[in-house]
Amino acid sequence: MIIIGEKINGTRKAVAQAIRERDETFIRDLARNQTDAGSAFLDVNAGTAPEREPEDMAWLVGTIQEECGIPLCLDSANPSALRAGLEIVKNPPMINSVSGEKPRIEKVLPLALEYGTNLILLALDETGIPNTSDGRMKIVDRLVRLAMDGGLKEEKLYIDPLVTAISTGTDSALITLDTIRRISSTYPKCHITSGLSNISFGMPLRHMINRTFMAMAIQAGLDSAIADPGDRQLYEVIMAAEMLMGRDKYCQGFSRAYRAGRIG
Amino acid sequence: MASELAGLLADLKEKEAMDLVGNKLEQGTDPMEILGDAREGMKIVGERFGSGDYFIPDLIYSGEILKEIAKLIEPHIKHKETGSRKLGKVVIGTVAGDIHDIGKDLVVLMLDINGFEVYDLGVDVPVHNFVDKIRETGAPVVGLSGFLTLAFDAMKETIDAIKTAGLGDDIKIMIGGGQIDDEVRRYTGADAFGKDAIEAVALATNWISKA
Repeated sequence: MIIIGEKINGTRKAVAQAIRERDETFIRDLARNQTDAGSAFLDVNAGTAPEREPEDMAWLVGTIQEECGIPLCLDSANPSALRAGLEIVKNPPMINSVSGEKPRIEKVLPLALEYGTNLILLALDETGIPNTSDGRMKIVDRLVRLAMDGGLKEEKLYIDPLVTAISTGTDSALITLDTIRRISSTYPKCHITSGLSNISFGMPLRHMINRTFMAMAIQAGLDSAIADPGDRQLYEVIMAAEMLMGRDKYCQGFSRAYRAGRIG
Repeated sequence: MASELAGLLADLKEKEAMDLVGNKLEQGTDPMEILGDAREGMKIVGERFGSGDYFIPDLIYSGEILKEIAKLIEPHIKHKETGSRKLGKVVIGTVAGDIHDIGKDLVVLMLDINGFEVYDLGVDVPVHNFVDKIRETGAPVVGLSGFLTLAFDAMKETIDAIKTAGLGDDIKIMIGGGQIDDEVRRYTGADAFGKDAIEAVALATNWISKA
């Protein structure tokens, strides 16, 4: 499971404050903790006003890279902020994200192609998130074609089927799971990633719902997640589900995580 | 202090262990010495399993690594030596009426990699198959496995048949699986019972060294 650590996000209050005050220690701790907990990438979202965002993104990237060598996932809709990050990033990065929306295709996609980055593709467009898997696949097909025509290999694409709240739609989870299955069979070499936690919006016991959904999504073909690897119970479910899906030879990942005290 | 190879095998570091064996063979290290180191590693794996730090897949994995090591080493060993390497013969199977194989297969694996010549009769084995195989091979040790409680009767019948056939005096019989304890051992007439594959190896080793 390719975990994209989600915690360095300027839309979170504490992170916004750390960015404003240039609190290096706070950001470095977040980076270190998420790396040690098993992230493969760290999401970096400055979440600030457009005129400040490039400078803030560059500061975040620089600060994180001083702490650890983990690849970064530059998370912004702002092409200037993305470029500011891309120019100083050391490891092959990921961009989060391109959707079927025109500005993203015209301004963000070319950056991903220019730098040959990994790229998250979202199954939405100007009309929003389609409420059928057919609708989502149509967008996915178009985006994958655009990215591949531009020279990105399937292995670099992380397709996000998107998740809407179960509280407002009985079939929300089913649509996502069906989309995951269809992506998995149509593009077997692409990765499938998602935030998943939207599923429980407006419900009690959110973490428990999220964990259950995670197990179901892994069964459907999810192989990456934008998540908090420090969420121990979620991490346990990921380890168990990956093992049950036959991706853990001699259960070594699970057993070693247990012996290391990471689960259980 | 464990040797480097023993340490790598004990930590289930397959690639590093295989690389080390390859290097040692290239440098002309005695293959028997390598095998001895590997056995030492397996012993540590067994201890970790016994103490609850390792689990069944770890045991299986260590066995697979050892098999790979043996495969690498085999061309370097003179045939005579491989022949004399076997400690002794063991006939084993899951008794009639029971088809559980996980525990039995683990015992087979662990006996095999510890140097025994194992005759695995499979599952749901009729009484006379055990008797025939013991006669044919002259094996001094027999292992009967069963998970279901109804296996207790099949074990008793099998052991009775072995004794009726006049084989009982020369051979030792161990049983294992599921809820088996000393009471079951007494009921069936077996010589000993084991809780897991490690104990089975210890029992067989002990009996054969005295034989």
